[in-house]
This record gives sequence, C-alpha cells and structure tokens, in this order.
Amino acid sequence: MNAVVLKKGCPELLGFPHIVEFASKKNSTIQFNSFKPAAAESLRLYYILEGKFEWFIEKQHYILYPGDLAIVLPGQLQGGEKGFLDIGALAWLHVRLEQLEGSGKMVPGSWSSLTEKESKAIGKILVLNTIPVLSKFKEAGVLFQHLYHELLNQEIGYSTRVNHLIDELLILVARQLTRQNSSRRDFPQTFMKLEQTLRENLGHQWTLEEMAAMVGLGTTAFSEKVKSFTGFSPLNYLINIRISEAIRLLKRPDVNVTDIALDTGFYSSQHFATTFKKLTGYTPSEFRKKNLPNK
Amino acid sequence: MDCFITIDLGTGAVKVSAFNPHGKMLHAMKGSYPTFHTRPDWSEQDPEQIFITMLYVLKNFLNEKIHPKKYKVVSICFSAAMHSVMTTDRNGVPLGNAIVWSDNRAKQESQELRNTEFGNMLYNATGTPIHPMSPLSKITWIKNHDPERFRQAQKFLSIKTYIIQQLTGEYIIDHSLASATGLLNIHSLKWEEEALRFAGITPQQLPALVPVFYSTAKLRREYQSSLNLPAGVQIIAGSSDGCLATLGGGIRGEGKATITIEDSGAVRVMGKKVLKDDKQRFFNYLLTEDSYVSGGPTNNGGAVFEWYAKQFGVFKRAFDLDDSMETLMSDAAKVPAGSGGLIFLPYLQGERAPIWNADAKGVYFGLNIQHEQPHFARATIEGILYAVYSIGKTLEEHRVIESLCVNGRFASLPFWTQLIADIFNKPVSTKIDADSVAVGAFLLSAINTGIYKNLDEAAQTVQLPDTYKPKKSQHQIYKKHYAIFERLSYKLFDEFKAISALQQKKG
Repeated sequence: MNAVVLKKGCPELLGFPHIVEFASKKNSTIQFNSFKPAAAESLRLYYILEGKFEWFIEKQHYILYPGDLAIVLPGQLQGGEKGFLDIGALAWLHVRLEQLEGSGKMVPGSWSSLTEKESKAIGKILVLNTIPVLSKFKEAGVLFQHLYHELLNQEIGYSTRVNHLIDELLILVARQLTRQNSSRRDFPQTFMKLEQTLRENLGHQWTLEEMAAMVGLGTTAFSEKVKSFTGFSPLNYLINIRISEAIRLLKRPDVNVTDIALDTGFYSSQHFATTFKKLTGYTPSEFRKKNLPNK
Repeated sequence: MDCFITIDLGTGAVKVSAFNPHGKMLHAMKGSYPTFHTRPDWSEQDPEQIFITMLYVLKNFLNEKIHPKKYKVVSICFSAAMHSVMTTDRNGVPLGNAIVWSDNRAKQESQELRNTEFGNMLYNATGTPIHPMSPLSKITWIKNHDPERFRQAQKFLSIKTYIIQQLTGEYIIDHSLASATGLLNIHSLKWEEEALRFAGITPQQLPALVPVFYSTAKLRREYQSSLNLPAGVQIIAGSSDGCLATLGGGIRGEGKATITIEDSGAVRVMGKKVLKDDKQRFFNYLLTEDSYVSGGPTNNGGAVFEWYAKQFGVFKRAFDLDDSMETLMSDAAKVPAGSGGLIFLPYLQGERAPIWNADAKGVYFGLNIQHEQPHFARATIEGILYAVYSIGKTLEEHRVIESLCVNGRFASLPFWTQLIADIFNKPVSTKIDADSVAVGAFLLSAINTGIYKNLDEAAQTVQLPDTYKPKKSQHQIYKKHYAIFERLSYKLFDEFKAISALQQKKG
C-alpha cells in the first residue's frame, strides 16, 4: 500500500457516503499535538503496518504493534498517548454506521448486506467488548489491502466489492473478538463468562444468534453445547436465570411487579405472570404475598 | 405402573431420575446451575436459581417422560452434595448466596481448631474432619467475618433443607447429611452442643433432625397442581450424595470398598462401626442409625485430567474436551506402566485425605530427556490414581479390603478402571449404570415403601457384572513408583508451604 488519504468529498469516495476516511500512511516525523485524544461519530478501525504506537482509547493505555487492529466505537476517545502520532506506518478506515446504540442495536446502512439479525449480534459484540485491540490479526490487514486496491483501481464491480469488504471486516472483527475472549477449549469457563454477561444485561431481548456469537460458535453447535452442559436449550436457560432473578426481586417489598418483569427481560408483566405461574404454580403477586412478612 | 423419582442436588447440576419398582432406571434429566467464585477461595451458588432449576427440570421431566406414560409417582427422594451452608432472615428469605462444599474461605478457622484437644473431641463426636469445607468452620467464618449477616441470620440451612422447605414448608435435615456438618453428634444423633457453642448458634437456628426415611412432609398444593402430582406423593428426606453413591455402589458388607472419581474423588467403606483415627484422616458419616460410611476424599480427581487436557490436549473441534481426553488416553495407553519413571503429584487444588494439606501443589518429578508428551498424559492419570490409592492404603490400616467397586465419570472409564485394579492389586467391578447416587436414593425409596426389608437386602440387589482383574507384573511396577510418590507427598511439606505463600502474595 502506498501512502494515500481519502476523505469525504474525494472523487474516490463519491459512491460511498458512509466512508468518512480511508488512509494508508507512513509517518516519518513527529508533529506535536497532531493526534490528541478525540471522539468521532464514525466507527474507526486502525491496522498497524510498521512501528510501535502508544495510544489512549477511552482513557486506557495501549501499545500497538504491527499486525494489531484497534477498534474505536462511535463516541469513544482515541489519540496518541503524548498527543502526537508515533513514527511508523498504519492504515485506517472510518465508517459511519446508521445506528449503533449503547444497547448494541446496530444498523450499518443500506450499503451493507448484513442481515438484520446478524447486524444486531455484531453490534452487541462490539458494544460489550472491553478490549479494543485485537493483536496479531493479519486477516484484517489482508482486507485493508483489498480495500486499498479496490478504491484506487476502481475495476468493474469495485463499488459492490468495497461494501462487501467492509461487511467482511465487521464480521471478522466480531468473530475475532469472541475468539480472543475464550480459549475454545474450556466450555464451562466460556459459558460462565457468557452467563455473567447475560445476568448483567438481563433486560435485553437476547436472541440465539447473539448468544452464540458471544462465544464464537455457530447457532447449532452452540445450542448443542449448552444443552449437553446445562441440560437446557439456550433460551430455556435464559428463562431460568430470569425467573431466579425475579424471585429474588419479588422477595424485596420495594420493587413493583411490572418493573421486575421488564428488568428481568420479559416482554410484559402478562408474559412474566404466565411464565412464572407455569413454572411455580403461583402468580408473581401470590408468590410475593406468601414470602413477605405479614404486616 | 408405580415409579420412584430421585432428585440429586449435585455440585453443579440437579439430576432428576425415575425408577420402576424393580430398580430399573427409566429416565434421567439434568439442569446445571453456576458456581460463583467472587474471591479466590470462595465458591457460592444462588439458592433461588437452584430451586428454579430443580423445579424446571422436574416439571419438564414429569411432562415429557412420566405423565405421558401414565406412571404413578409414589415418592420423591432427595440427595445432595455435602457441606453447604446458607442463611435466611426472619422471613425465610435467603441472605446472600449459599456457600458450597468446595469453598475454602474458612481456612484459618479450621487450622486453628484442627490440632487442638477441643478439635479432636469435636472430630470424635461429629465424625467430620476439621476442615474449611465443614459447615462448622463456615458458620464460624460468618460469625468472625460477616457479623451483620450473622446477626440477621434466623436460620443456618443446607441447600437441600431450603429446597425441601420451598416445596413443603418444613425445615428439615436428615441425620445423614447432618452428619457431614461437623455439628451433629453421630453417636447420640443430636446437635453437638459444644460445636454449636463454638460456632455461636443455637439448635433453634438449625433445621429439625429427621431420619433419612422421613416422608411425612406434604408437597404444597400449588406444586401439586403445577407439577400434576397426587396429594399423597411422599417427599423423602434422603441422604447425601457420598453416602448414597456408596449404598448404590452395592458394597455393603465386609471386605469391600467403593472408589468414586468425578471431578473430585473418594474411597469409602461401609460398616456398623465408626473408624477411629488419631490423625483425623477419615470422615465417618451416618447413613442410618446402625450404618456408617467412612473414608477419605481427594480434591484432585477428574478435574485434574481435564485441566491437563485443556492445557495440552489437541482440540480438533472447538470445546470438544471429551475428544481431546480420549486422544490423550489412547496416547497414554501406548506408554508402559510407570510412565518411564515420570511421577506426578496431582495436588493442584491442595489435598484432603490422607495428607490434609491445603498448601500441597502439583509436581512432575523424575523428568529426563527421553520423556515425551504421552508420558506426561499417562503420568497425570497414574498420579491421580496414586493419590486415590494413598487413601485406600490408609483405610486398610483399619479395614480389610478384598475387592473394589468403582463409580463416577472417570473411575468407570475402562483405562482408568484397569489402572485402579493394577495399582491396588485387587479385583474391581463396575456397574452397568454409572449413576450410583440415583440408585442409592432409589434403594432408600424402595425400603421406605417396603419393597426391601432393610439396607442389606437393598444393597444386595445392585448388580456388579464387569470385573477387572489386577495384573501382577504391572502392580510390581506401580508399587515401586508409588513408594516414591508417597515420600514426595510428605517430604515437600515445607516447599509446598513456601510456594503457596509466594503464590498467594502474587494473587
């Protein structure tokens, strides 16, 4: 890749309103205050080619080496640790997503061919991820190469290919994030991590795809593993956690039943009441009456 | 047809099984619940989640397997992992999570007590070795370190007590499970006053003591209707997983012992008398009034081999641990007995019987340049089984053991069973049906309804068809290696302590 910086408005990017910036840069001098931590609206991906970069991403300190990919979500602060860009070479892509909510709901935009379900799952993984650097991630470098060639050579089919490459980059990042978080050897441990995430986000309407993606498995393999490990299908396991948490809350007099239903991830208090009664034989309010002190 | 349901509240999962009156297992279903390790030595579980999981599995089990076939459920018999403690407030609401068997937070409480005269007196009275796992130590820990919870705690319960209370409204604990608390006098079958005083609690704060056959508690009406069970279904208090695995292993009588290896392991004998051991190396748990299950537990069973497979095994498919372990075992089978002089001490999680050393660690000893990966795989399994043998050997100081019966996921693997036969130099039988805990719970239920007269008659019905014969030549090799294993286990005492201190500082 030769040095190039394409910004919004460049002729190369005219067909790609969602690409805010694409660049490949060799930095051979230090310019003070050239790279202060700042936030942006776009999703920013940086692939390191040469050198060593010391950055802040969301106030955390990271050292990046060749082969590493940094992922900066919209709104996150990122910049050089000393306010400038270190000497070295890197490539980056800033892409504006139509939507990426704190809850993980992601809508890339009409350019993307990701399905709605998969966009949601990838968004959830991006939002829940706590380590913004994927190390030794050569596959991402290959995609950057392809993007570079497609954007600059503009051969027949390039506009389709560029959008596909960005989709592919998102998919690869999501897969790598889930793999980095588990050894792919220890299912119980991996499942415990997922369980903790589920508990911390119990109000979220988890789908099978999202849960499977969190541990880096396909939905079939994931369901099979969960079933043999826990005895439950993933969605039934989730109901199990929801009801257990609901029971704990029902035993506290200060939370009302509708809030409990929504906090524990049921669609409505009616849905909660039906599920609860089916399992325990009590409606939530009967159960509460039985367990609270007589006043 | 009549059917008998057993519910085992195990260390990580609940298992519901059903038997016909002839003792044939009809179906089984499980559901797991998580163990939380919020601090290094802590292991906790959420009693509400255990209850809901149990209810969920039971309901699915009845609806899918039992009701469609029109079975008539006669009774539901409970078994549970030992040593759990939970607290509830004056409304019966749990205060925090349950502290489960493997929790080691009460290290200091138990160390201070273990080698004192008072500690010895408690051990002789209660049958439970003084150890962090014992509810005696755990309650004492709560008193010392969480005074607010201690003050609010109206009751101190086992998880099984809570589950049965949720179903029936009664707070009960059977003598058998109670005999693993360190709080029950196993001779008088009453709460041991001295132990209670030490822990700072009163008998009113503990559940009512009942025999294992106690079955007059009634299932609440709501659960009768949601589970579609008859009003007369008997809820049997039952026993602990350890005692029931021994009963279900069919070894009641002279000259026999069972070896259970799941994640952890134990060697147990049954008899009409307790084992008296000056060094407090064994537990003596009560099954019924005239029968004791005695033996020693190891912390380092199959979990250690799983650890090895996770670190060094080959994973052809993501998370396929079973496949990885099978490959390792077939590698190990190609290496001769003794692993070319490579000896493994498996004390990755400290050790209980017989060395009772919480600081003990894992060691590969005797490495030379010829050793390859398969030697390690074999040495790892041999080391786990040497530790099991060391328990058996100390038991033999008190009892004659002529034959063994193995159960549990790991001990019943053919490769392991043959190794056990060779290392012990005794014939070993395995059961067709590996779940001895459920079988034991069924046998209690069957005695309860009069199918069998007593424990002896019940235990005799357990069939033990497969026998592995010891190979003399192999035993000679193991014997020589074991001698070194045993010396190392004690010799490294100071070094274990020193490295443990270093590791704790780092953590």
